[in-house]
Amino acid sequence: MRSLTAFRMVVHDRSSTAGALLGVVAIVFLVGQQLSILFGLLNYMSVLVDHSRADVWITSANVRNVDAGNLISARYIDRAMGLREVEWAEPVLIGSGLFRTSDGSFESVRVVGTRRPRLAGGPWQYYKGDEQALLDVESVTVDRLDLAKLGHPVLDQVTEIGDRRVRVGAISEGARGFQGTLVFAPLDKVKEISRTPLGRYSAILVRLNPHVDKETALSLLRRVLPECSVYSSAELSRLTRHYYFTETGIGGSFGFSTIIAVLIGVVIISLTMYTSVLGRSMDFAVIRAIGGRRRDIAVVVMSEVLIITGIGLFVGFLLLATLLNATSGSSIPSYFPTQVPPILAGGTIVVSLVGSLIALRVALKAEPASVFH
Amino acid sequence: MATLTLKKIARDFSDGRQVRRVLFPTDLDFAPGELTVLSGPSGSGKTTLLSIMGLVLRPSEGRMFLDEHEVTALSDQEAAAIRLKYYGFVFQQPMLIEGLSVAENILLAFAVQGDRLPPDARQKTATFLKTLGLEGTAYMQPRLLSGGMKQRTSIARALIKDPAILLCDEPTSALDAESGQAVMRILKGIAVDEGRVVVVVSHDARVFPYADRLFTLENGTIVSDIRENYIPEKGDAP
Repeated sequence: MRSLTAFRMVVHDRSSTAGALLGVVAIVFLVGQQLSILFGLLNYMSVLVDHSRADVWITSANVRNVDAGNLISARYIDRAMGLREVEWAEPVLIGSGLFRTSDGSFESVRVVGTRRPRLAGGPWQYYKGDEQALLDVESVTVDRLDLAKLGHPVLDQVTEIGDRRVRVGAISEGARGFQGTLVFAPLDKVKEISRTPLGRYSAILVRLNPHVDKETALSLLRRVLPECSVYSSAELSRLTRHYYFTETGIGGSFGFSTIIAVLIGVVIISLTMYTSVLGRSMDFAVIRAIGGRRRDIAVVVMSEVLIITGIGLFVGFLLLATLLNATSGSSIPSYFPTQVPPILAGGTIVVSLVGSLIALRVALKAEPASVFH
Repeated sequence: MATLTLKKIARDFSDGRQVRRVLFPTDLDFAPGELTVLSGPSGSGKTTLLSIMGLVLRPSEGRMFLDEHEVTALSDQEAAAIRLKYYGFVFQQPMLIEGLSVAENILLAFAVQGDRLPPDARQKTATFLKTLGLEGTAYMQPRLLSGGMKQRTSIARALIKDPAILLCDEPTSALDAESGQAVMRILKGIAVDEGRVVVVVSHDARVFPYADRLFTLENGTIVSDIRENYIPEKGDAP
C-alpha cells in the first residue's frame, strides 16, 4: 500500500514528477553520451593494438604509449622467433606523410606499414575491397570515415603520400586513430614514405602458440629482449589509454563535464522532490497520525524516487540508444561497452536517492500533531 | 473496548524565551459507549488536549492510561503502533490524500505500515461506503466529492479498522448544516451502538445535543463537565 501510495502520488503530482524525471533523464542522457564519446575516443587511442590480432607487442624501451615508441632493430624478430612459445613475429612500421587529395591539397596522415603476406597489424574490417589489396606494393587503404577529409578518393585512384605514388586499393571500416587519419600500406611503401633506415621498425607483433601460458611467454620474451619493452596487447592498450587519458587533459575534461551533468541532475531532482514533498507535508502528517511510522514515510518517499528513477532510466536510455544509433558509423566517436549501462543505471539510482535526501528530511519532519487545528 | 484515562495531564509550550502553560492539570476519563464533546473558545486548549489523547503530542506533566496500560511517554514507534491499533481520527478538514481513490484512502488506514490488506478489507470498505451514503464513489478521486462526502470518507477511513477510540477535531466545521447533522448522527451511532469512545472537539453549539458528556475548557482548564441529562438543547437531539 505504501508503494501504491507512492505510485499514485507520482501520477497525481504530474508537474513535480515531470521535473524529477527531467533530472534523471538529464543524468542518464548527458552522462551516457559523455561516456560514449569518452569510450569512443579511448577506442581510437588504442585502435591499432586492440585490432592487431597479436598477443604481444615488442617496442622500444620505456614506451608509455603505442604511438610514442622509437624504432627498434629487425633482429629482435629472429630473437622472438627463436622461442618455441612464439607462433609468428611480424614487424610494423608507423610513419607519417602528407596525403594529396583530389583537389590537390594535402592532409596529414599516419601510415601504418604491415608485412605481406600475413598483414599483421593491418586493417581488420573493410568497407570496400579486401586485404588482398595490400599485397600490391603500391596499394594503400583509407578509412570510410576519412573519405570526405581525403577528398573522396575512389578505389584504384592514384595519388601521393609523402611524394610517393600510391593507389587506393581498399577502403577500411572503423580504422581511425586518436592521432589522426590512419592509412595502411605494405611495409616497403611505408619505408619509402617515411624514409626509415633499413632494418628498423616501430614494433614487432608476436602471436604465441596456442595453449602456451601467456605470462611465462612474456617473461621469456622480456628475458631475451632486455633492450625492449614487451607488453601483452591488453597491457599496451591499457597503458596507451591511460597515457592519453591522464596526459592530454581528456580525463579531466570528461570528468568535469560528467560531474556537471550529474550536478545538474541532482539539483533538478532535489528541487522538484523538495517542492513535491513540501506540498505533500500534510499528507505525510496524516499518514503519521493514522499510525504510520517515520520509516513508512521514508518508504513512500523512496518509492516515489525509485519509480521516477525507473521511468527516467527507461526514457534516458531510450534517448541515448537513439543518439548512439544515429551517430554509429559517423565520424563522432561513440562507443558504449555493455558493462556501462548497469553501472550508469546504478549510479543514477544512487544519485537520485542522494538528490531526494532533502525532500526525505522534510517529509520525515511531518508532525502528526499538525493535522489538528 | 477501551477506556482512556488522563491523570493530572498538563502541557506547556515554549517560544524559546518563555514557557506558557496551555493546559493545566486535568483529570478526565472516557468510557466506551459515550460521545464526549470538548467545547470552548479558540485557544482554550481543546486541540492540545485532543492531540495528547491521540498520542501525537506528549504531555508536559501527568500520566495517561489506555485501559490499564500507561501510554504517557511512548516512543514514536510505540505511539504509532497504538494509534494504528486503537485509534481512529477525523480531522477538521477531511485530509484525504489526493491521487489515491476514495477506496484507497480508506484502505490506507489498514496498510499504512506496509502490512498486507486483510482479506475482507475491500468488502468492508464497500460496506462502509454504502452505510455512509458513498456508494459508487470507491474509484473516484477525492477532489470530485462534495465537502460532506469527503468528511464521510474520512470517517470511513477512521472506522475501517474498528478502532476503540475515535477522536474528531471539529468534524462539522467545514460542512453545511445538513451534512454536519448527518456526520454527528453517524458519530453518535458509533459511540452508542458500537460501544466505542468517541470524543468530538467542537465549539459548534449544534453538536452539543449529540453529546453524552460535554466538557467546556477555558484558558486550559475544564470549567464545566455536564452529563447527558443536563445538556441544554438535548431535546433537539435525534
